[in-house]
Amino acid sequence: MGLGAIVVIGAEFDGSRSSLPLGTELEYSLAASLPCIDVMGRSVTERTVERFVRAGVEVVSVLVAAEMAHAVQPFSSLLENVTVQVVTDTGAAVIQKCKDFSRGGIEHAFIVSASVYAEPDLLDLFYFHRESRQTATRALDSEGPLNLWVVNCAKAHYSNLVDLLAQAEGSAASYFIRDYVNRLSQPKALRQLVSDSLRGRCALRPSGVELKPGIWVDEGAEIHRKARIVAPAYVGRDSKVNEDTLITRCSNIERNCCVDYGTVIEDSSLLANTHVGIWLDVSHAVISGNKLLSLERNVTLEISDRSILRAAGSVREDVKDNTLDFSYGTREAISDLEQQEELQNEPPTPRTWQFGANPIQG
Amino acid sequence: MSTRGPVIVMELPETLNHAEGEKFVSEIQPLLEAHRPRVVLDCSQVQQMDSAGIETLLYCMQEAMKRDGDLKLAAVSPAAATIMELMRVDRLFEVFETADQATRSFQNVATPEDSQSLPWYSSGLGLADLKIAS
Repeated sequence: MGLGAIVVIGAEFDGSRSSLPLGTELEYSLAASLPCIDVMGRSVTERTVERFVRAGVEVVSVLVAAEMAHAVQPFSSLLENVTVQVVTDTGAAVIQKCKDFSRGGIEHAFIVSASVYAEPDLLDLFYFHRESRQTATRALDSEGPLNLWVVNCAKAHYSNLVDLLAQAEGSAASYFIRDYVNRLSQPKALRQLVSDSLRGRCALRPSGVELKPGIWVDEGAEIHRKARIVAPAYVGRDSKVNEDTLITRCSNIERNCCVDYGTVIEDSSLLANTHVGIWLDVSHAVISGNKLLSLERNVTLEISDRSILRAAGSVREDVKDNTLDFSYGTREAISDLEQQEELQNEPPTPRTWQFGANPIQG
Repeated sequence: MSTRGPVIVMELPETLNHAEGEKFVSEIQPLLEAHRPRVVLDCSQVQQMDSAGIETLLYCMQEAMKRDGDLKLAAVSPAAATIMELMRVDRLFEVFETADQATRSFQNVATPEDSQSLPWYSSGLGLADLKIAS
């Protein structure tokens, strides 16, 4: 039937700006990179691409806006007929890709913003579009239109994407999605997605093994026998959960994280490569390295004391004099070079956690 | 610093670090050494705080408690509140939105004079209403 898909990362290609939140720089950058960060083992973009492949889409092209290129990570699974391309003008690149598809015998293509996580029946959407005989079909849900379209590649002769979609919007019928949708427009949406996934409210499944109902542990994760994990929760690949910690209320610890002695993680997300120090209470927050976004108070902090929060792998230089030194309001970014040096100094990863004998509560 | 009845209200400095904390402690120390000191720390000006700042708060609290007094916080910013929660010290302090509210909260507690005139089991907790069964 000649079906392709274009996944766009880092640009609102319908001309709207409504999906990006107003807030601090940190919140903004976090929101913008949400499609690229790991959510329970794999990024939303990768999961979207995989859904297209599983639905029988022949070619999938991921277009990454240049400003977001740094956030994109290689896919964990090898997917055939998937290409990733960094572009400066997303709209023009989408039009060009449609033309390429058309020349290659692909008649129709899905165009989707990576910041939309939706679980519609893709083939049903396609058949709906084909039967409607319009240039494009836009999907919408109960909250309004989504950046998910199906277009006729042969008709993509407009000079820019906004014109194409605007023209289509005026004439095409809309496809209503009753299935799960998450717009991933702000960090709160990330927590919602994690919660919905762990509670089985959507089809997104965490990577790894479900050790007990609601408790997912990925490969190489190390959980101390005196740590408590209360379902639902997720511990990612190569992460370490130390003694007397408590992980609860839909918290997700992504890959290569460390939760140190006595700390409580409640209703929070630890993004990949984050170290949380000893004897802390983390609740209703998203943490990435030394940055903490409190969803409850809507405040972002950058903590310079590495014994409290730091990127995993960095050395606790401050412990030498046994003093704590943290501040908020300051912006002390650690240079990449420094982080690389510190990564080299990191002790080798401990042996894999032994299954059993852990007081995990399901 | 201001006094509202028996309650002392003190404003914390904009930056609460080791140096500022020491200066602040030297100012407040004589007040904490009074009998049953009742202190409200107004945090509305605090922009930056480090662990020494938190230690300052804990020290003041400890000094007040030693003398049967109390210390309460007012106008804590969301950022400071997040830090205090992260460090698990939030539960140690009573926090109020304004210094006035914090001051009033002291007035709901029995004064030392009241306490002295009442039996030991009715020290401001409403236990005076309890009748002994025997």
